[in-house]
Amino acid sequence: MPRKHHMGFRFKSIRILILLLIAGIFIASCISFEMVKGIEGSPVKPPGDKLQVGKTTLETALELLGAPDQLAEMEGKDLLVYEQTLYRDNRISLGIPLGDITGPNIDLSAYGTLVRYDTLALFFSPDGILRDIVFENGSDRSYMKTLFPEEEKNSNSSPQNQ
Amino acid sequence: MRLLRYAVIVLIIISLCSGCALFGKNKEFQPFDVSALDTIAPGKSTATDITAIFGAPTEVVKMSNGNAYIYRRSISKGTGVWLILVSFGNFERQHDQIVFFFDKKDIVTHYGKSLNAEKASYGFPF
Repeated sequence: MPRKHHMGFRFKSIRILILLLIAGIFIASCISFEMVKGIEGSPVKPPGDKLQVGKTTLETALELLGAPDQLAEMEGKDLLVYEQTLYRDNRISLGIPLGDITGPNIDLSAYGTLVRYDTLALFFSPDGILRDIVFENGSDRSYMKTLFPEEEKNSNSSPQNQ
Repeated sequence: MRLLRYAVIVLIIISLCSGCALFGKNKEFQPFDVSALDTIAPGKSTATDITAIFGAPTEVVKMSNGNAYIYRRSISKGTGVWLILVSFGNFERQHDQIVFFFDKKDIVTHYGKSLNAEKASYGFPF
């Protein structure tokens, strides 16, 4: 008798596995999760003390940082831009194609695409002296907090009206 | 019976892991002859000398005191895995860049170089 019990358990587990397999095949086109990451350019670091407004020359900046990614002339000043682009895309979708049976399809999906930039902009006067520095560290901001800033604000603020 | 169970488990694993994998590489690339930079002398070399060595620039930008020639080469590497329920993708693009600054007489005043194209790598997004 115990042997029969054991056999019954085995059959049950195989049946569950087969059901899982069939379910997996059927839901394959219904549920999907996608994660994509992209990087363009080299890391851009904060300027620190190496670059000093009014002192650093264009030659020194090129020696320290290499070739800029973008160049422009702005109202008599030369703009050098060093930039790294960070791309992130996450999406999840759930769709049950019941169109032929019930009418409308059930289709739920959510996605978040975020492009962040680490940027260092240097402004030089025509005599080649550094006049201004702007640094933006976009990669420091978290993916979720950047996508949902309102929710974060709401959760941080306490209700004033009673 | 044990064999059947193993067969079913293997089938489940195969069905969940079946899909595609992709490794791609894209080059907008003609390597720079970096040693040629040693022949460039700021204050002496001209725009004609530069184009004779490096060819036509990728971009020409008007600056306050002349022009700048940008030479850019890129390497992109992409990795993708498509499984039944999840898919992952990763791409990276790096550049080799040389920028020459010229005065109004087309004489080289400065130049800067960044050679990072070979740092592009394959990977996963996590």
